[in-house]
Amino acid sequence: MRHLQQDALDRWLAAERDGRDGEAEAALLEMFEALPTVGMTAPPAGFADRVLVRAGLRTAAVPADLFAWRPLRIVLGLALAATGFGVLWLPPLLHFLAGLWSVGGAIQGGIRVLTDAGQWLATVLRIWDFLVTIVHDLAQPLAVPQVMAVLVLSLLASSLAFRYLRDQITGERNLTYVDPS
Amino acid sequence: MKTDTELAASAAQGSQDAFRELVKRFERPVYSLVLRMVQDPATAEDLAQEVFVKAFRALRSYDPRWKFSSWLFKIAHNTTIDHLRRGTPETVPLEAGEDEEGRGGLAAVLAYQSVEDPRAAAERRDLARSLERAIRRLRPDYREAVLMFYVHGATYQEICEVTGQPLGTVKTNLHRARKELAQMMAGLGWGPVKPAAPPPRRA
Repeated sequence: MRHLQQDALDRWLAAERDGRDGEAEAALLEMFEALPTVGMTAPPAGFADRVLVRAGLRTAAVPADLFAWRPLRIVLGLALAATGFGVLWLPPLLHFLAGLWSVGGAIQGGIRVLTDAGQWLATVLRIWDFLVTIVHDLAQPLAVPQVMAVLVLSLLASSLAFRYLRDQITGERNLTYVDPS
Repeated sequence: MKTDTELAASAAQGSQDAFRELVKRFERPVYSLVLRMVQDPATAEDLAQEVFVKAFRALRSYDPRWKFSSWLFKIAHNTTIDHLRRGTPETVPLEAGEDEEGRGGLAAVLAYQSVEDPRAAAERRDLARSLERAIRRLRPDYREAVLMFYVHGATYQEICEVTGQPLGTVKTNLHRARKELAQMMAGLGWGPVKPAAPPPRRA
């Protein structure tokens, strides 16, 4: 028994060979209908959910059992190991800190922190002052109407040029231009 | 069952269920088309997702006079071309067979196998693989036209709207693509069965 798709294939190729375009097209259509898997592939499972997440309509699903998530188990394991090693160093560290601690030391430390913060603030203010001077010098010419007009015209021209280029790039979306193979 | 246009209208008003239904309806054709253009499953999934996200953001501007599938395919076409323009990285060529039959195609293949004898099913599978291979060898604009016309059932006019090409170009592309496919299929050993030779005459 001849099968539908084989029959359509034979008719298609025969019609192509004899130059019967209409019949060739009809037979090829028939063949595609008989082979519904051709040209069709389902996306990986959960595609629609990922689209919804990406569109901001839904937050990414959290695994029901957090500890069943392997990366989390690995991170927790590493954290526990690090804590274990850390505990070994804890007594000497506490001993060292206790040796440093006294009322005089605390006052001295506080004064040092305040001094450092003041110096840091002064540096920031100096930089701010410098930036304000630059902006002021740059803005002075803009007070002249002619300079302002030239600037506005330049901005207008560049935005028009940008828009034209964008239209040129996106207007001709033809595969021949991107892959002439 | 709601039409695509009704679902698009509901989705534009913020219905998540309507948008999800639209994605479910069109995920396969959009992904299939993009996959065959970029020939890389991971890139195809990323681009197909981008297509739906763009469509979602543009739903308010969707004109119901357009067929929804054409509108969506146009977004898919533009997104794919923009991706290819950015420069296509090295990709692993998509091999027919495992991928198609491993996911979406499997159900269809099994459905046919359940009513066909094994030999017919094997023949159908071989023919499908050969046709996929031949389609893959077409140049991208021919490939896109063939997929839209023969697989997704788009009309000439719809292909014009999606690709932005004139009607004459679309028809020419399809004609040439069909000729090339026929040559490739014949080259792959799928020639027409010759009629049986007449019995020799007795003298």
